[in-house]
Amino acid sequence: MLEVNHLRKSFGKTEVVKGVTFTVDKGEAFGLLGPNGAGKSTTISMICGLLPYDSGEIKVDGFSVKEHQMEIKRKIGVVPQDIALYPTMSAHDNLIFWGKMYGLSGKQVVKKANEVLEFVGLLDRGKDKIETFSGGMKRRINIGAALMHQPELLIMDEPTVGIDPQSRNHILETVKELNKQGMTIIYTSHYMEEVEFLCKRIGIIDHGEVIAVGTKDDLVKRLSGGTVVKMEVNHFQNRLVEELNTLPLVEKVMVNDDKTELEILVSSGHQALGELVSTAIKNFIEVSSIKVQEPNLETLFLQLTGRSLRD
Amino acid sequence: MKSLIIAWKDFKIRFMDRKGFSLMILFPILLTAILGTALSGVMGEQSLPKTTVGVVQNGTDQIGDYFIKDVLKGKELNDFVSVKIVDSKKKLTSLIHDEKIDAGIVIPNGWSQDLQDGKLKKVDLLVDPGKELQGSMMNSVLQTFVNRVITTSTSTKIVLTNTAQTLSPKEMNDLSIQLSRSLEKLAKSNAKYVQNASIGKKQVSGMQYYAAAMAAMFLLFNIMNGAKSFINERETETLARLMCTPTAKLSVLMGKFLGNLYFCIVQFSLFLVITHLLFHVNWGENIIQTISIALMYSIAVSGLAIFFAALLKDSKTADTVGGLGVQILSLIGGSMVPLTIFPNSLKTVANIAPNKWALSSFIDIMSGTTWNALLLPLTVLFLIGIVSVTIGTWRLQAK
Repeated sequence: MLEVNHLRKSFGKTEVVKGVTFTVDKGEAFGLLGPNGAGKSTTISMICGLLPYDSGEIKVDGFSVKEHQMEIKRKIGVVPQDIALYPTMSAHDNLIFWGKMYGLSGKQVVKKANEVLEFVGLLDRGKDKIETFSGGMKRRINIGAALMHQPELLIMDEPTVGIDPQSRNHILETVKELNKQGMTIIYTSHYMEEVEFLCKRIGIIDHGEVIAVGTKDDLVKRLSGGTVVKMEVNHFQNRLVEELNTLPLVEKVMVNDDKTELEILVSSGHQALGELVSTAIKNFIEVSSIKVQEPNLETLFLQLTGRSLRD
Repeated sequence: MKSLIIAWKDFKIRFMDRKGFSLMILFPILLTAILGTALSGVMGEQSLPKTTVGVVQNGTDQIGDYFIKDVLKGKELNDFVSVKIVDSKKKLTSLIHDEKIDAGIVIPNGWSQDLQDGKLKKVDLLVDPGKELQGSMMNSVLQTFVNRVITTSTSTKIVLTNTAQTLSPKEMNDLSIQLSRSLEKLAKSNAKYVQNASIGKKQVSGMQYYAAAMAAMFLLFNIMNGAKSFINERETETLARLMCTPTAKLSVLMGKFLGNLYFCIVQFSLFLVITHLLFHVNWGENIIQTISIALMYSIAVSGLAIFFAALLKDSKTADTVGGLGVQILSLIGGSMVPLTIFPNSLKTVANIAPNKWALSSFIDIMSGTTWNALLLPLTVLFLIGIVSVTIGTWRLQAK
């Protein structure tokens, strides 16, 4: 359904997408995982035809984005990161408008708008203005607008940013249902658990490069025995990090913003525990809890990039 | 087709924004009422003062009745004079004192009893010293009536006296009836023996001037409102979403242009109808001329909106530039102070303001003008619109 080959894009002298390559099969849900500023949105914008790319190639259903923009736009539905709706118009009118922009008309567009409202669980609020909706409801209509023309490929750019857990779950279930119905989905996020829940294959992107692609199991297998140990401390001091870094089992130490938790990447978690605790005690730092985290995508990202997904 | 969908969506958004819509319709109406009334004197309007006259008729008299019914309450004075019948001279004096009436007329008992001798009894005319103009007007009306009655009566009397010796009593009676009917008919006749001809243009009232000025000024706000609508779409990502749909860039831009144009046309039409109904503003004899100028002006305004949308980066800048720009253009374009009092150098500078072209054309149409005279403003406004929309579209497409 989608082929992205050696895609490159620069803004001025800064190259923000550096040879990104991945493919998405028809009916697949593909996750693009990476921290803010990794190049996810720029890549998405180029796939949608919003931004021209400097080199490489993007093909949707065999059509080149450069040569067949209009055909491709008919096949794609885009859910932008921001709420791209008209706040003073009702949800129903918004859907009708976006439907018409995809060529729907007459009774067909009205019927589809009602179907979409029902699908996103907001049929009873259709006549209300978007500005009266909660953040989660706005997000659901934001997704609904992209579904009006029944796209073959749905591209979602961080669609759950800034909403409550209940709305988030509703959106994730909605996307899962769409994928079950056969819609191809590209889901970008920096929330590992969302991507894990929705997608069979995942691409990890950082600094404009895809650093790993595969199923979750494939990716976790790539971990070279690495484990993350999370240690909560009281009275943190910088010298602890220096001391921990000198230990042979420790590969990387990261401290959270409020200096209460350390994430320590070690080559063998259980063997390292004793050394980690004794180093803290030696430095007169109280350890309030310590746990070994099962290897996951977060661990992989940490191992590959040396930084956390939410950095 | 997609342009029309975008245009209709934009129009609906702005039309349904009650606060914004009221501002664009009610404000100019309010300002027209205030400025048009307050500055009507400045515009050189002249009219007779409204006069309330009190009348006391002592006893009954045929001429007195005729004077009250057919002269004071007659068609010709109806617009300026309202009559109040009063019981006594004392009450009449009190009403003048209390400034409830401007002048008073006391018709004596048996006013016309000496008419056969070519005389009418003296009538008292009481005037508030502060209402000299109204007093003179009533004096003139009264004097003209008395002269006409005496002239008719005297001429009838002379004719009848001179012919009495040669005619039989029956012929005398017939002549008397015929003469009095002819004179009566003549006296009541409104036949005009002077042909009026207008030299120069019709004077435009203050209300007319400020209706046109406010229409020109408030349509100008659509430059910034239109530009802001585009900038908002850019800031809220709806523009990016529009660009993700299978819609050509040109269709999106044309949609934004047409949406603003629809709004300008509706705003002007409502303003024209409301000012006509509320303030009886006469927008000119040729409404097609008014509509043509309004249409070209709306094209100019909508074109400039696209131009500024391409030029300005965010809505804050648009607010600042827009507020200032509209005020400057309104000032130099004559929407605040009449263009006629501008020095020549400023009149030349005013040509850069599209509202100047619209305003001066509206005023010309109100005064009566030809299509030939409107050709230049129509062309200038159309060119402003087309050139700015072309430059704006080119820049936005490149972006």
